[in-house]
Amino acid sequence: MDIWLFLALTAGCSAALRLAPRIPDAYRVPGSVLVGLAFFVAAPILLDDFRLFQLSRAAIWVTVAMGLNMLTGYNGQISLGHGAFVLMGAYTSAILLDSESQLGFVDATPWPYWTTIIAGGVIAGAVGLLLGFPALRLSGPYLAIATLALVISIPSMIRKYDELTGGSQGLFIDQPEAPFGLAEHLNRDEWLYLVTLFVAVFMLVVAWSVLRGPLGRTFVAVRESETAATAMGINVARTKVTAFTISAVYAGVAGATLTLLLGVMTPESVDITTSINFLTAIVIGGLASILGSIIGGIVLVLLPSEGPELVARLPFVSEETVNRAPGAILGILVIAVVLLMPYGMAGAYHRLAAQRPRTVMRATRSIPAGARSRLREMRENIRWWLEDLPWNRAKAESTRENGP
Amino acid sequence: MLLTPSPWEDPSLFAEQVIAGLATGSIYALAALSVVLIYRSTSVVNFAQGEMAMLVTFSMWSLTLAGFDAWMVIFIGLALGFALGGFVERTIIRPVEDKPHLNVVVVTLGLFVFINSVATWIWAQGELPKVFPSPFGDDSVDIGPASVTTHSLGILATALIVMAFLYLLFNKTKIGLAMRASAQNPTASRLMGINVGRMLTLGWALAGAVGALAGMLVAPVTFLYPSFMLAVLLYAFAAAVLGGLDSPVGAIVGGFLVGVMENLFGTYTPGDILGPEMKLPLTLLVLVLVLLIKPTGLFGREQVRRV
Repeated sequence: MDIWLFLALTAGCSAALRLAPRIPDAYRVPGSVLVGLAFFVAAPILLDDFRLFQLSRAAIWVTVAMGLNMLTGYNGQISLGHGAFVLMGAYTSAILLDSESQLGFVDATPWPYWTTIIAGGVIAGAVGLLLGFPALRLSGPYLAIATLALVISIPSMIRKYDELTGGSQGLFIDQPEAPFGLAEHLNRDEWLYLVTLFVAVFMLVVAWSVLRGPLGRTFVAVRESETAATAMGINVARTKVTAFTISAVYAGVAGATLTLLLGVMTPESVDITTSINFLTAIVIGGLASILGSIIGGIVLVLLPSEGPELVARLPFVSEETVNRAPGAILGILVIAVVLLMPYGMAGAYHRLAAQRPRTVMRATRSIPAGARSRLREMRENIRWWLEDLPWNRAKAESTRENGP
Repeated sequence: MLLTPSPWEDPSLFAEQVIAGLATGSIYALAALSVVLIYRSTSVVNFAQGEMAMLVTFSMWSLTLAGFDAWMVIFIGLALGFALGGFVERTIIRPVEDKPHLNVVVVTLGLFVFINSVATWIWAQGELPKVFPSPFGDDSVDIGPASVTTHSLGILATALIVMAFLYLLFNKTKIGLAMRASAQNPTASRLMGINVGRMLTLGWALAGAVGALAGMLVAPVTFLYPSFMLAVLLYAFAAAVLGGLDSPVGAIVGGFLVGVMENLFGTYTPGDILGPEMKLPLTLLVLVLVLLIKPTGLFGREQVRRV
């Protein structure tokens, strides 16, 4: 099945349950979540192996995006360096699984693969805890650049200490096969997909329960006003460090899963661009939203590789343009989404869902009008700018004084 | 295995490394100035800064092919960078300015990808990297034990002139005061009769011009290819943050510090555990340590927040 058709069906069926008239309100949210989940569980039957690999990657990026969204969306701290935590988790897993590892303190027999996912989370979380304290003192752009420094440094450290990490060659591991009698029904790619899906869903459920509980409220309180939060008896420093640690654990777990999926881990597996793109993903998907993290993770995988091809299907775009400048299309898409949906795709969806079903239908009809008014706004901005130029301003003034 | 002599035994090496560091540092300093400029006038870190500079530099490269003089090209490039900065602010930054703060960051990231791709499309057809002429010439001058090119000296002079210009603009003129005011408190500035929108556009336009200048002066050293500004910009961010994001003087000092530290760490740390490959992480480590002691950089002003 076509990947876009699959995603459209998933999103469509799930949204239909949420938005359709005459469904009892109590069933809407659980219903749409279950339907969406059912599609993703059935994906091995519906999609070929390559698409499945892309979806596995998407599931991993969803996990990272969820962690980053807890930090940035809910707690208000910007990090551009989550790629570093992903690499830490990934290398933890790779070192533990590498049968030829020369380390004195690691047993030569590889660990069971699922334990390395936990180990990846623990190691990345420990580093996150250590780094959370310095991060406390930095705010906004300073924190963003400091975390960027982290993700730039890690690959050269991996290359330098190559006895442990295999250097630029990377580490190769044996990918897990489906256990018990499942192997005859599921090939390795399908099994790996189910593993990544399970990890992602598990981490999302944990995030959901954390965010709706007292800790989640504390995150938001600190984001909104540190002074007010302190006045309510919240320990701001501890909250920020906790958020940093939790989001590092998410990135570490995702990294360890990435090692399992790829079968090899090199310093280039997660580069600066990917690390920065995590932030792009949650803004496009929707800040401070679980659904936003899911959308963001999927978009992050599909947009760079499939986006240009999708645009090429439009009637007025030639395939040649797209092939020669794929990044141009990607850049325009990113800017367009942010301009048209300032609260991300999830924000737009939630705004729809907050309406009564009949209003939703009307709102859908008014989308072209909304786009038109946005274009008009941009045109106005340019016009003001032109009028603001000194020579035009002089002309306007003389017109006002002397008449046209 | 070849036994390399200890770097400590060569007394002139230190001076050579420091001067070479200052030469690269002046590049970082100039690029850091454009980062500071945009942060100071709009409170935004613009990730597309380097790519905008790259676009201008490539356009100017085309002009040099058409036979324009190297100095002429610099001035046309400044004007083009100014116009590009203003245009970008008006068309795509303006609509997100009142939205969540991160949106501006992501829009600049989108712009980064877009410009990079368009430049690759237009200019990457022929041979890469391309050679960009220097207006200062390429002769070398001996300073003590080391020799530097006139181009490095030219960059250094330009960086100092730009810094002085920015300092005077921000601290001694009414328009600079208005720009600072609108970055700090748009609402109050509007009430005082400042046209905040115009100040933001001006800030972006000026940053575009300084960025373009940095691009055109860096290109003769690094050569010209579509992502030549990326590495420079990362160092420039480090330099700007080290010096304090809102201080032009800090950007210059930060640039020199980063350039010199990078060279010294590469030469003087033991090669078996650290050495040249680790010079970037070590430099960034110093950056983070400085931030820990002084969270707004060396010359940054403490943020006083009223509740």
